[in-house]
Amino acid sequence: MKIPVRVNEQPVELESRTDETLLTALRRAGFRSVRLTCGIGVCGACTVLIDGAPISSCLVLTPAAVGAGITTTEGLQDGDRIASAFQELSAFQCGYCTPGFVLTTRALLLEHPDPTDDEISHALAGNLCRCGSYLKIKQAVRRVAESMRH
Amino acid sequence: MTLDPRITGRFEYGQDQQVEGMLHARILRSPHAHAKVLSINTSEVPQHVVTLTRDDVADLEPLYGPMVKDQPIVARDRVLHVGDAVAAVAAGTPREAEEAIALVEVEYEEMPAVFDPVDATGDAAPLLHDGIEIPAELRPDGRNMCHRFRLRSGLGQDGFERADVVVEDTFAVAAAAHVAMEPHATLAYWEAGRLHVITGTQTPFNVRRDLAALFRLSEEMIRIVVAPMGGSFGAKTFMRLEPVAAALARKARRPVRAVLTRAEEFITINRHPARFHIRLGATRDGTFVAKSVDAWWNTGAYADCGPSVCTKGGYAAIGPYRIPNVNVDSRCVYTHLPPAGAFRGYAATQGVWASERMTDLMADRLGIDPLTLRLRNLLRNGDSFATGEVMHDVRFADCLRKAAEAVDWGGGRKNKGLAVMLKGMQTPSRTGVALEINAGGHIVLRSATTDMGQRPETAQRNLAAEALGLSPDLVTVGSNDTDLVPFDTRTTSSRSTFMMSNAIREAANDLRRKIAQRFEVAPEDLVLSDEGAGVAGSPDLRRPLTDLTGLRGDGTFVTPGGLDPDTGQGIASSHWHQAAASAEVSVDPETGVTSITRLHTAVYAGNVVDRPGAELQNEGSTIFGIGTARFEGIVFEDGQVTNGNLSDYEIPSILDVPDFTYDLLEGGEHSHGLGEMAVPVVPAAIGNAVAAAGHPVRNLPITAESVLDASLVR
Repeated sequence: MKIPVRVNEQPVELESRTDETLLTALRRAGFRSVRLTCGIGVCGACTVLIDGAPISSCLVLTPAAVGAGITTTEGLQDGDRIASAFQELSAFQCGYCTPGFVLTTRALLLEHPDPTDDEISHALAGNLCRCGSYLKIKQAVRRVAESMRH
Repeated sequence: MTLDPRITGRFEYGQDQQVEGMLHARILRSPHAHAKVLSINTSEVPQHVVTLTRDDVADLEPLYGPMVKDQPIVARDRVLHVGDAVAAVAAGTPREAEEAIALVEVEYEEMPAVFDPVDATGDAAPLLHDGIEIPAELRPDGRNMCHRFRLRSGLGQDGFERADVVVEDTFAVAAAAHVAMEPHATLAYWEAGRLHVITGTQTPFNVRRDLAALFRLSEEMIRIVVAPMGGSFGAKTFMRLEPVAAALARKARRPVRAVLTRAEEFITINRHPARFHIRLGATRDGTFVAKSVDAWWNTGAYADCGPSVCTKGGYAAIGPYRIPNVNVDSRCVYTHLPPAGAFRGYAATQGVWASERMTDLMADRLGIDPLTLRLRNLLRNGDSFATGEVMHDVRFADCLRKAAEAVDWGGGRKNKGLAVMLKGMQTPSRTGVALEINAGGHIVLRSATTDMGQRPETAQRNLAAEALGLSPDLVTVGSNDTDLVPFDTRTTSSRSTFMMSNAIREAANDLRRKIAQRFEVAPEDLVLSDEGAGVAGSPDLRRPLTDLTGLRGDGTFVTPGGLDPDTGQGIASSHWHQAAASAEVSVDPETGVTSITRLHTAVYAGNVVDRPGAELQNEGSTIFGIGTARFEGIVFEDGQVTNGNLSDYEIPSILDVPDFTYDLLEGGEHSHGLGEMAVPVVPAAIGNAVAAAGHPVRNLPITAESVLDASLVR
């Protein structure tokens, strides 16, 4: 069946069976920044924003997302503050988990524009980076928060 | 600033590779640790789905493996571990493949299995492999043993007679999972009899050689294109999915892509569980005089690179110390566990854990400060290691002092621990590289260094730019394709920056010679800059690089060496990875829960080629060490993995990582690999800190239960 959604502010009809996850449907539609790692909602590699909130797309059946506004990093524009900070501070290695971190950071900063270190860590605890770029990721998030204050 | 495709998510990994008409593979795996395969029935599988069983590969070499040919593409008469491949299918969609694999029926007859390496060498233990050929350089010294590495120096065991004090103990390290975020992924297709494989691998030339042997083709008939990996950490070394994908594609006459599930990752390749009994003898003033290492490595059902792991872990457990009398017996044994292979920290993690816990036990016994004891015995320039090789460019003491300072060691030792290590690099080893001037006047670097997230492009561009006197923007790294790149042993053991820096310098010199010939001048009179090539003192002769299109410089760097398997004498490593760590912990005596209050690593970096990359590698390596120290361990029950998912098998999240610090020690003549220096020392430093807090733990990971079990009666 076809599930109408908006992805990165464009209307998209996701081809999906009713028992398939949003992750599978998004990847099939070419949004390959959304990635399968754990399949049980603990690693954050399949994070998308649904109406601004970070969601593990491996736990959402596609029909449940009908009409939703979905954000993936394919929609990032050059100059995006969060993405630029990740790039400037080299806050990634293999990059596989990076889209998930960037999206979770966006949701965090919308809610807490000036987060404490604890708030940053707790917000990002659902995104795993096996390469271990956490120190630089934290620095990148702090830098964005600082730049938003000015 | 244009956003990096790794940030926008447009970067394509192995799992994203596709070819027109591609099918999707699934593998049927054994639910038993050891069983006879009585029958395989594929008649219920729909006709349009391609199936692969033992009958389909009967015309190929029966077995493959990087060190011992012991592994079939799909099971023949028996399965040897839970997860052993029995059959495979290829279908139009992943779902169709998944549905089809469930329709393959296999009849098994269960057989007795053995999971402990010592038990496996007993006379009554079931034999895993019958009639396989063990290569001449290995020493299968007992039932189910694929290799035994032995080192003897000085008086060996008799050296303990010279000791005033001897301490001994037993240590163990659990199996661990690599958990690369991207699973293994391979795409294979055949074209005019030639096999093309696009795969996430650290070892393209090993895969080419081993596929050629398996399919009975010349190496030229095989082309390996390396896809960037979403992490590997040793998991994507040697052949994994390549044989089954290639065999399916051969039968299907269509391209086939295989991608593992997370559960399959835990039964495909893991870190060796290992057990050590160590004796250390010293004089009363704290001079080490003798050491013996008795090690058992559980390599699972297939040897993979286990023989090399048991060798490197055998000498790593000696530690970076001057010890005149050393005795090592390190054994690699088959069991019915899933296979174990290369893992970040390669064998040093296990060996250093045992060795450095033992160093602290000796310090306790002698009543000497652990820092003082280490400094008294550390190898210095010109000293001989137990292998007989003379040490050079030694920075162990510098690393250790930096680590000690960072936790204010002088201010009191309570709850603090130290560790120091040496780790070998792949030796002997060979690296080739080429630098070509293309039509656009850019330098194209042809290198087989694989990309698993360690930023090899940046490092290699910087190295080439520096060697040629050009800006890195003028250097492009070409496709990683065995048809295009010179031979390189493999991207493992943190060797690539060291090996490539030497090979690239040679290639740059060769290219300069070729350009100088064009100008008919001596190479030293050549002036190379971003504006072009010219001759010193004659600015009007300058020509743009586009005039030199097609010129190519080649460079090769070779390190000789290797150890005698019976004496352990020779060259273990052409240069040494050197590192130290310090930790301070707090332990809740009621619950055994440990938290890290301070953590520091100090690693010898040499010339840093890519500053952010060097920092990231050391930070990541430290965090890997934290996972190994605190909670990473695969739990097996009757050969089954009972925690094979990321909820039950935890890897460090941002909440598990304290604000640690580190030093990259620079200087010397070379660039050093940094990818695995902290992994072995971090668990040992944390373990020594936990011991200093009154809980002398002996096993990794350091769980709360093990801390309580190890509590000293006070």
